[in-house]
Amino acid sequence: MKCPLENRENSEILLEYSSCTLNGSDTQRLEAHLGECQACRDFVRGQRAVWEALDGWEAEPVSADFDRRLFQRIEREVSWWRRMRGHVGLLLGYPALSLAAAAALLLMAVWLERPSPSRAPAPAPVQANMLQPDQVVEGLDEMEILDQFNHMMKPDSSATKM
Amino acid sequence: MQERVNTYMGGATAALDYDAELMLRVRDGDGASFARLLEKHRLPVVHFLYRMVQQQAVAEELAQEVFLRVYRSRDTYEPTAKFTTWLFRIATHLALNSLRDGRNERSQERLDERSQDMPALQVEDRRPSVEQSLVRQAALDEVRRAVAALPAKQRAAVLMHKYKEMEYTQIARVLNCSESAVKSLLFRAYETLRARLAHLA
Repeated sequence: MKCPLENRENSEILLEYSSCTLNGSDTQRLEAHLGECQACRDFVRGQRAVWEALDGWEAEPVSADFDRRLFQRIEREVSWWRRMRGHVGLLLGYPALSLAAAAALLLMAVWLERPSPSRAPAPAPVQANMLQPDQVVEGLDEMEILDQFNHMMKPDSSATKM
Repeated sequence: MQERVNTYMGGATAALDYDAELMLRVRDGDGASFARLLEKHRLPVVHFLYRMVQQQAVAEELAQEVFLRVYRSRDTYEPTAKFTTWLFRIATHLALNSLRDGRNERSQERLDERSQDMPALQVEDRRPSVEQSLVRQAALDEVRRAVAALPAKQRAAVLMHKYKEMEYTQIARVLNCSESAVKSLLFRAYETLRARLAHLA
Protein backbone atom coordinates (compact mmCIF):
# COMPACT_ATOMS: atom_id res chain seq x y z
CA MET A 1 0.00 0.00 0.00
CA LYS A 2 1.23 3.44 -0.89
CA CYS A 3 1.67 5.69 2.16
CA PRO A 4 -1.55 7.72 2.59
CA LEU A 5 0.44 10.65 3.92
CA GLU A 6 2.12 11.09 0.57
CA ASN A 7 -1.19 12.07 -0.96
CA ARG A 8 -3.52 14.38 0.92
CA GLU A 9 -6.50 13.05 -1.04
CA ASN A 10 -5.88 9.62 0.48
CA SER A 11 -5.33 10.85 4.01
CA GLU A 12 -9.05 10.38 4.63
CA ILE A 13 -8.22 6.69 5.07
CA LEU A 14 -6.16 7.57 8.11
CA LEU A 15 -8.93 9.83 9.46
CA GLU A 16 -11.51 7.11 9.02
CA TYR A 17 -9.24 4.49 10.57
CA SER A 18 -8.64 6.77 13.57
CA SER A 19 -12.37 7.18 14.10
CA CYS A 20 -12.98 3.44 13.55
CA THR A 21 -15.20 4.02 10.50
CA LEU A 22 -12.94 2.50 7.85
CA ASN A 23 -14.30 -0.59 6.09
CA GLY A 24 -12.83 -4.04 6.72
CA SER A 25 -10.66 -4.57 3.63
CA ASP A 26 -9.12 -1.08 3.78
CA THR A 27 -8.50 -1.55 7.52
CA GLN A 28 -6.48 -4.71 6.85
CA ARG A 29 -4.42 -3.03 4.13
CA LEU A 30 -3.79 0.04 6.27
CA GLU A 31 -2.83 -1.99 9.33
CA ALA A 32 -0.27 -3.83 7.22
CA HIS A 33 1.11 -0.45 6.16
CA LEU A 34 1.08 0.91 9.73
CA GLY A 35 3.36 -1.94 10.73
CA GLU A 36 6.11 -0.47 8.61
CA CYS A 37 5.37 3.30 8.61
CA GLN A 38 6.23 5.30 11.71
CA ALA A 39 4.79 8.56 10.30
CA CYS A 40 1.36 6.98 9.79
CA ARG A 41 1.47 5.44 13.27
CA ASP A 42 2.19 8.89 14.73
CA PHE A 43 -0.65 10.32 12.66
CA VAL A 44 -3.12 7.75 13.98
CA ARG A 45 -1.99 8.18 17.58
CA GLY A 46 -2.28 11.98 17.36
CA GLN A 47 -5.62 11.83 15.59
CA ARG A 48 -7.09 9.49 18.19
CA ALA A 49 -5.96 11.89 20.91
CA VAL A 50 -7.74 14.74 19.10
CA TRP A 51 -10.83 12.59 18.68
CA GLU A 52 -10.93 11.77 22.38
CA ALA A 53 -10.33 15.39 23.35
CA LEU A 54 -13.20 16.52 21.14
CA ASP A 55 -15.41 13.78 22.61
CA GLY A 56 -14.96 15.37 26.02
CA TRP A 57 -16.36 18.68 24.85
CA GLU A 58 -20.01 18.54 25.73
CA ALA A 59 -22.37 21.25 24.58
CA GLU A 60 -24.48 23.13 27.09
CA PRO A 61 -28.20 22.40 27.46
CA VAL A 62 -30.61 24.54 25.47
CA SER A 63 -32.71 27.10 27.36
CA ALA A 64 -36.07 25.80 28.48
CA ASP A 65 -37.91 28.68 26.80
CA PHE A 66 -36.21 28.26 23.41
CA ASP A 67 -39.33 26.96 21.66
CA ARG A 68 -41.60 29.51 23.32
CA ARG A 69 -39.39 32.38 22.16
CA LEU A 70 -39.26 30.97 18.65
CA PHE A 71 -43.00 30.50 18.38
CA GLN A 72 -43.53 34.02 19.73
CA ARG A 73 -41.31 35.39 16.98
CA ILE A 74 -43.16 33.34 14.39
CA GLU A 75 -46.51 34.49 15.75
CA ARG A 76 -45.38 38.13 15.61
CA GLU A 77 -44.31 37.69 12.03
CA VAL A 78 -47.48 35.86 11.03
CA SER A 79 -49.72 38.45 12.67
CA TRP A 80 -47.80 41.24 10.92
CA TRP A 81 -48.45 39.56 7.59
CA ARG A 82 -52.09 39.07 8.50
CA ARG A 83 -52.39 42.78 9.27
CA MET A 84 -50.70 43.66 5.99
CA ARG A 85 -52.94 41.32 4.07
CA GLY A 86 -55.92 42.78 5.93
CA HIS A 87 -55.01 46.27 4.81
CA VAL A 88 -54.54 45.15 1.23
CA GLY A 89 -57.80 43.21 1.37
CA LEU A 90 -59.59 46.27 2.72
CA LEU A 91 -58.20 48.29 -0.14
CA LEU A 92 -59.34 45.71 -2.67
CA GLY A 93 -62.82 45.70 -1.11
CA TYR A 94 -63.47 49.23 -2.31
CA PRO A 95 -62.87 49.51 -6.07
CA ALA A 96 -62.92 53.32 -6.04
CA LEU A 97 -60.37 53.42 -3.26
CA SER A 98 -58.08 50.93 -4.98
CA LEU A 99 -58.41 52.87 -8.25
CA ALA A 100 -57.45 56.05 -6.45
CA ALA A 101 -54.49 54.31 -4.82
CA ALA A 102 -53.39 52.89 -8.17
CA ALA A 103 -53.71 56.31 -9.80
CA ALA A 104 -51.72 57.89 -6.98
CA LEU A 105 -49.00 55.28 -7.37
CA LEU A 106 -48.96 55.82 -11.13
CA LEU A 107 -48.69 59.58 -10.72
CA MET A 108 -45.91 59.14 -8.21
CA ALA A 109 -44.06 56.80 -10.58
CA VAL A 110 -44.47 59.26 -13.49
CA TRP A 111 -43.29 62.11 -11.29
CA LEU A 112 -40.27 60.15 -10.12
CA GLU A 113 -39.41 58.98 -13.63
CA ARG A 114 -39.93 62.36 -15.36
CA PRO A 115 -36.96 63.56 -17.37
CA SER A 116 -35.04 66.20 -15.56
CA PRO A 117 -35.47 69.62 -17.23
CA SER A 118 -32.61 70.49 -19.53
CA ARG A 119 -30.60 73.00 -17.78
CA ALA A 120 -29.61 76.22 -19.55
CA PRO A 121 -25.90 76.73 -19.65
CA ALA A 122 -24.81 78.52 -16.59
CA PRO A 123 -24.13 82.17 -17.29
CA ALA A 124 -20.56 83.25 -17.26
CA PRO A 125 -19.65 84.75 -13.96
CA VAL A 126 -20.22 88.52 -14.06
CA GLN A 127 -17.14 90.46 -13.29
CA ALA A 128 -18.86 93.26 -11.42
CA ASN A 129 -17.44 95.35 -8.68
CA MET A 130 -19.73 94.77 -5.81
CA LEU A 131 -19.99 97.58 -3.29
CA GLN A 132 -19.78 96.70 0.29
CA PRO A 133 -22.20 98.42 2.78
CA ASP A 134 -19.47 100.42 4.43
CA GLN A 135 -18.37 101.68 1.01
CA VAL A 136 -21.93 102.87 0.32
CA VAL A 137 -22.09 104.67 3.66
CA GLU A 138 -18.74 106.26 2.98
CA GLY A 139 -19.92 107.41 -0.47
CA LEU A 140 -23.08 108.94 0.99
CA ASP A 141 -21.02 110.79 3.57
CA GLU A 142 -18.82 112.18 0.83
CA MET A 143 -21.86 113.30 -1.17
CA GLU A 144 -23.25 115.07 1.89
CA ILE A 145 -19.92 116.86 2.44
CA LEU A 146 -19.90 117.95 -1.20
CA ASP A 147 -23.48 119.21 -0.89
CA GLN A 148 -22.60 121.23 2.23
CA PHE A 149 -19.54 122.59 0.42
CA ASN A 150 -21.74 123.68 -2.52
CA HIS A 151 -24.12 125.49 -0.14
CA MET A 152 -21.19 127.25 1.48
CA MET A 153 -19.74 128.26 -1.85
CA LYS A 154 -22.98 129.49 -3.49
CA PRO A 155 -23.46 132.78 -1.51
CA ASP A 156 -19.88 133.81 -2.31
CA SER A 157 -20.33 133.14 -5.98
CA SER A 158 -23.62 135.17 -6.08
CA ALA A 159 -21.88 138.03 -4.31
CA THR A 160 -19.09 138.02 -6.81
CA LYS A 161 -21.59 138.17 -9.62
CA MET A 162 -23.24 141.11 -8.02
CA MET B 1 -46.41 12.66 0.22
CA GLN B 2 -43.56 10.15 -0.04
CA GLU B 3 -44.16 10.02 -3.75
CA ARG B 4 -43.76 13.76 -3.89
CA VAL B 5 -40.36 13.60 -2.16
CA ASN B 6 -39.26 10.85 -4.53
CA THR B 7 -40.36 12.90 -7.49
CA TYR B 8 -38.27 15.80 -6.30
CA MET B 9 -35.17 13.95 -5.23
CA GLY B 10 -35.35 10.54 -6.83
CA GLY B 11 -33.71 7.38 -5.54
CA ALA B 12 -33.18 5.83 -2.18
CA THR B 13 -31.76 8.92 -0.46
CA ALA B 14 -35.02 10.72 -0.91
CA ALA B 15 -37.00 7.86 0.54
CA LEU B 16 -34.94 8.12 3.73
CA ASP B 17 -35.37 11.86 4.15
CA TYR B 18 -38.41 11.96 6.32
CA ASP B 19 -37.50 15.52 7.30
CA ALA B 20 -38.08 16.72 3.75
CA GLU B 21 -41.47 15.10 3.91
CA LEU B 22 -42.23 16.94 7.14
CA MET B 23 -41.12 20.19 5.56
CA LEU B 24 -43.47 19.64 2.65
CA ARG B 25 -46.26 19.20 5.16
CA VAL B 26 -45.23 22.49 6.78
CA ARG B 27 -45.49 24.02 3.33
CA ASP B 28 -49.04 22.71 3.17
CA GLY B 29 -49.84 24.48 6.44
CA ASP B 30 -49.21 21.70 8.97
CA GLY B 31 -47.80 23.49 12.03
CA ALA B 32 -47.36 20.23 13.95
CA SER B 33 -44.80 19.06 11.38
CA PHE B 34 -42.76 22.19 12.00
CA ALA B 35 -42.87 21.45 15.75
CA ARG B 36 -41.57 17.93 15.01
CA LEU B 37 -38.74 19.26 12.89
CA LEU B 38 -37.86 21.69 15.65
CA GLU B 39 -37.95 18.96 18.26
CA LYS B 40 -35.67 16.76 16.18
CA HIS B 41 -33.10 19.34 15.09
CA ARG B 42 -33.08 21.87 17.93
CA LEU B 43 -30.24 20.28 19.85
CA PRO B 44 -27.96 19.44 16.89
CA VAL B 45 -28.33 22.97 15.52
CA VAL B 46 -27.79 24.75 18.85
CA HIS B 47 -24.84 22.52 19.72
CA PHE B 48 -23.23 23.05 16.33
CA LEU B 49 -23.67 26.81 16.64
CA TYR B 50 -22.42 26.77 20.23
CA ARG B 51 -19.22 25.04 19.17
CA MET B 52 -18.87 27.46 16.27
CA VAL B 53 -19.32 30.73 18.19
CA GLN B 54 -18.60 29.38 21.72
CA GLN B 55 -21.22 31.55 23.39
CA GLN B 56 -24.46 29.92 24.44
CA ALA B 57 -26.62 33.05 24.18
CA VAL B 58 -25.32 33.90 20.71
CA ALA B 59 -25.70 30.28 19.62
CA GLU B 60 -29.35 30.19 20.74
CA GLU B 61 -30.08 33.51 19.05
CA LEU B 62 -28.58 32.22 15.81
CA ALA B 63 -30.49 28.95 16.14
CA GLN B 64 -33.73 30.92 16.52
CA GLU B 65 -32.87 32.72 13.30
CA VAL B 66 -32.16 29.37 11.58
CA PHE B 67 -35.59 27.97 12.44
CA LEU B 68 -37.27 31.26 11.65
CA ARG B 69 -35.71 31.15 8.19
CA VAL B 70 -36.82 27.56 7.77
CA TYR B 71 -40.37 28.60 8.62
CA ARG B 72 -40.23 31.63 6.34
CA SER B 73 -39.03 29.46 3.45
CA ARG B 74 -41.88 26.95 3.80
CA ASP B 75 -43.81 28.32 0.83
CA THR B 76 -40.86 28.11 -1.54
CA TYR B 77 -39.24 24.97 -0.11
CA GLU B 78 -38.23 22.36 -2.67
CA PRO B 79 -36.54 19.16 -1.41
CA THR B 80 -33.69 19.31 -3.89
CA ALA B 81 -31.17 18.24 -1.22
CA LYS B 82 -31.21 16.43 2.09
CA PHE B 83 -33.09 18.49 4.69
CA THR B 84 -30.16 18.50 7.11
CA THR B 85 -27.85 19.76 4.35
CA TRP B 86 -30.18 22.70 3.80
CA LEU B 87 -30.61 23.26 7.54
CA PHE B 88 -26.88 23.23 8.26
CA ARG B 89 -26.20 25.42 5.28
CA ILE B 90 -28.41 28.08 6.86
CA ALA B 91 -26.80 27.52 10.27
CA THR B 92 -23.25 27.66 8.88
CA HIS B 93 -24.01 30.76 6.86
CA LEU B 94 -25.33 32.54 9.96
CA ALA B 95 -22.42 31.36 12.11
CA LEU B 96 -19.81 32.47 9.59
CA ASN B 97 -21.53 35.87 9.30
CA SER B 98 -21.64 36.20 13.06
CA LEU B 99 -17.95 35.34 13.36
CA ARG B 100 -17.08 37.74 10.55
CA ASP B 101 -19.09 40.55 12.11
CA GLY B 102 -17.23 39.94 15.36
CA ARG B 103 -20.44 39.64 17.33
CA ASN B 104 -18.70 37.19 19.60
CA GLU B 105 -15.27 38.73 19.56
CA ARG B 106 -15.18 38.64 23.33
CA SER B 107 -15.94 34.92 23.39
CA GLN B 108 -12.36 33.97 24.09
CA GLU B 109 -12.16 36.44 26.96
CA ARG B 110 -15.43 35.12 28.35
CA LEU B 111 -14.08 31.63 28.07
CA ASP B 112 -11.08 32.71 30.10
CA GLU B 113 -13.27 34.49 32.66
CA ARG B 114 -15.49 31.48 32.94
CA SER B 115 -12.67 29.05 33.41
CA GLN B 116 -11.42 31.17 36.27
CA ASP B 117 -14.75 31.98 37.86
CA MET B 118 -16.61 28.70 37.51
CA PRO B 119 -14.23 25.80 37.57
CA ALA B 120 -16.87 23.42 38.92
CA LEU B 121 -19.30 23.80 35.99
CA GLN B 122 -18.14 20.73 34.13
CA VAL B 123 -17.89 18.49 37.14
CA GLU B 124 -19.79 15.28 36.55
CA ASP B 125 -22.09 13.46 38.92
CA ARG B 126 -19.45 10.81 39.54
CA ARG B 127 -17.80 13.45 41.70
CA PRO B 128 -14.17 13.30 40.72
CA SER B 129 -11.63 14.84 43.02
CA VAL B 130 -10.98 18.56 42.88
CA GLU B 131 -7.68 17.92 41.18
CA GLN B 132 -9.29 15.68 38.53
CA SER B 133 -11.95 18.31 37.91
CA LEU B 134 -9.39 21.04 37.45
CA VAL B 135 -7.33 18.90 35.08
CA ARG B 136 -10.43 18.03 33.07
CA GLN B 137 -11.54 21.66 33.00
CA ALA B 138 -8.12 22.76 31.80
CA ALA B 139 -8.20 20.14 29.04
CA LEU B 140 -11.66 21.26 27.92
CA ASP B 141 -10.56 24.87 27.82
CA GLU B 142 -7.62 23.84 25.71
CA VAL B 143 -9.89 21.97 23.31
CA ARG B 144 -12.19 24.96 23.01
CA ARG B 145 -9.31 27.34 22.42
CA ALA B 146 -7.81 25.03 19.80
CA VAL B 147 -11.12 24.80 17.95
CA ALA B 148 -11.73 28.55 18.26
CA ALA B 149 -8.29 29.22 16.78
CA LEU B 150 -9.16 27.35 13.58
CA PRO B 151 -10.23 29.40 10.56
CA ALA B 152 -14.04 29.57 10.51
CA LYS B 153 -14.55 27.29 7.51
CA GLN B 154 -12.15 24.64 8.85
CA ARG B 155 -13.94 24.86 12.18
CA ALA B 156 -17.32 24.29 10.53
CA ALA B 157 -15.94 21.33 8.57
CA VAL B 158 -14.46 19.70 11.69
CA LEU B 159 -17.64 20.19 13.72
CA MET B 160 -19.84 18.69 11.03
CA HIS B 161 -17.40 15.82 10.48
CA LYS B 162 -16.82 15.02 14.13
CA TYR B 163 -20.10 15.80 15.87
CA LYS B 164 -22.67 15.43 13.07
CA GLU B 165 -20.87 12.54 11.41
CA MET B 166 -21.56 14.06 8.03
CA GLU B 167 -19.96 12.61 4.94
CA TYR B 168 -17.58 14.62 2.80
CA THR B 169 -20.20 15.11 0.08
CA GLN B 170 -22.71 16.53 2.53
CA ILE B 171 -20.16 18.84 4.15
CA ALA B 172 -19.17 19.99 0.66
CA ARG B 173 -22.79 20.84 -0.10
CA VAL B 174 -23.20 22.72 3.15
CA LEU B 175 -20.01 24.71 2.61
CA ASN B 176 -20.70 25.08 -1.08
CA CYS B 177 -17.32 23.73 -2.16
CA SER B 178 -15.89 20.60 -3.76
CA GLU B 179 -15.39 17.33 -1.94
CA SER B 180 -11.63 17.57 -2.38
CA ALA B 181 -11.73 21.06 -0.87
CA VAL B 182 -13.49 19.58 2.17
CA LYS B 183 -10.83 16.88 2.51
CA SER B 184 -8.16 19.53 2.32
CA LEU B 185 -9.95 21.68 4.92
CA LEU B 186 -10.27 18.72 7.27
CA PHE B 187 -6.69 17.62 6.76
CA ARG B 188 -5.34 21.06 7.63
CA ALA B 189 -7.75 21.50 10.54
CA TYR B 190 -6.89 18.13 12.12
CA GLU B 191 -3.21 18.79 11.51
CA THR B 192 -3.51 21.96 13.60
CA LEU B 193 -5.55 20.20 16.26
CA ARG B 194 -3.06 17.32 16.47
CA ALA B 195 -0.26 19.78 17.03
CA ARG B 196 -2.19 21.48 19.82
CA LEU B 197 -4.02 18.59 21.45
CA ALA B 198 -1.98 15.42 20.93
CA HIS B 199 -0.39 15.81 24.37
CA LEU B 200 -3.82 15.41 26.01
CA ALA B 201 -3.82 11.69 25.22
